[in-house]
Amino acid sequence: MSEFVDECRREWRRLGVPEPVANEMAADLTADLEEAEAEGATPEDVLGNSAFDPRRFAAAWAIARGVTRPPSAGRLWPPRRPVVAVLSVLAAVLTIGAALGLVVGRGSTSVAFAARRIVTGPGSLRVVPWGPGRMVLPRPGGGPFGWTQIAGIEVHPLAWLVLIIGIVSLGVLAVLYWSPWSGAYRHRWFDSRRVPR
Amino acid sequence: MGNPEGRRSQLLRGVLDLCLLAVMGDGPAYGYDMTKRLRARGLSIVGEGSIYPLLGRLERDGLVETRRAASNGGPPRKYYSLSPDGERALKEGVIEWQATRDAVDGALGLVKVEVRP
Repeated sequence: MSEFVDECRREWRRLGVPEPVANEMAADLTADLEEAEAEGATPEDVLGNSAFDPRRFAAAWAIARGVTRPPSAGRLWPPRRPVVAVLSVLAAVLTIGAALGLVVGRGSTSVAFAARRIVTGPGSLRVVPWGPGRMVLPRPGGGPFGWTQIAGIEVHPLAWLVLIIGIVSLGVLAVLYWSPWSGAYRHRWFDSRRVPR
Repeated sequence: MGNPEGRRSQLLRGVLDLCLLAVMGDGPAYGYDMTKRLRARGLSIVGEGSIYPLLGRLERDGLVETRRAASNGGPPRKYYSLSPDGERALKEGVIEWQATRDAVDGALGLVKVEVRP
């Protein structure tokens, strides 16, 4: 019986039900269940088939009382705010674009070496068939947005920066999507100022 | 064609709020008290949803008034009673129910069924 009430409390906390309201509902429920038990009745006699699903029962009660929002109103996804939608798309595009840039940029160099040699000339690169000559890589560096070497590894600072920003942004959006405080908890401040019924 | 328990549950769901308002007409009652009053009138909620969300909705809609008071030797309980709006809603609901019941009886009343004990 106390497990049932404890489970309800956890659900109310998760839904952002104000503490005084949750305490009141838990006290009423506990008193009713104790009285029923003293009379030889079962929790099912008091709660109907809700006795087998405390979380659903707790959510239904809180929603009916208007002390939390229905799940559809509290969910962040699908995004109701256009800003969130735009940020999600932007983060995904940045991440994919940066990753593709890194992979294709490095991959094309490798493929070129497999079939041809790239030879530098004055002011330009030339691709020539296999034969005698000196095979060289395009010169690393080339300004703040060019390829450079860090600890002996070729990297493109801008592409890596964009990739990291994209991944972090997607991570933040994922946390917003899955975390319990993305929905009802965002309104906790508002709900706590409602007059408890 | 559907199971009898499911149909009963659906039928009851549409009028359970009226039943709660009706038992409140006997005087203020707390949650489990109302369950007992319903049972005394032959209506068990076993197998149905709980009455608590319904009470919450009635309260939110202003159809019941609440006050917290000590119960017989037990902890303070939340007592529900009919508000003026609730009394009006109960009367209107009963009229609707009777009209619906009569109409359904008109359609189903002539069907001969064997009632098993």
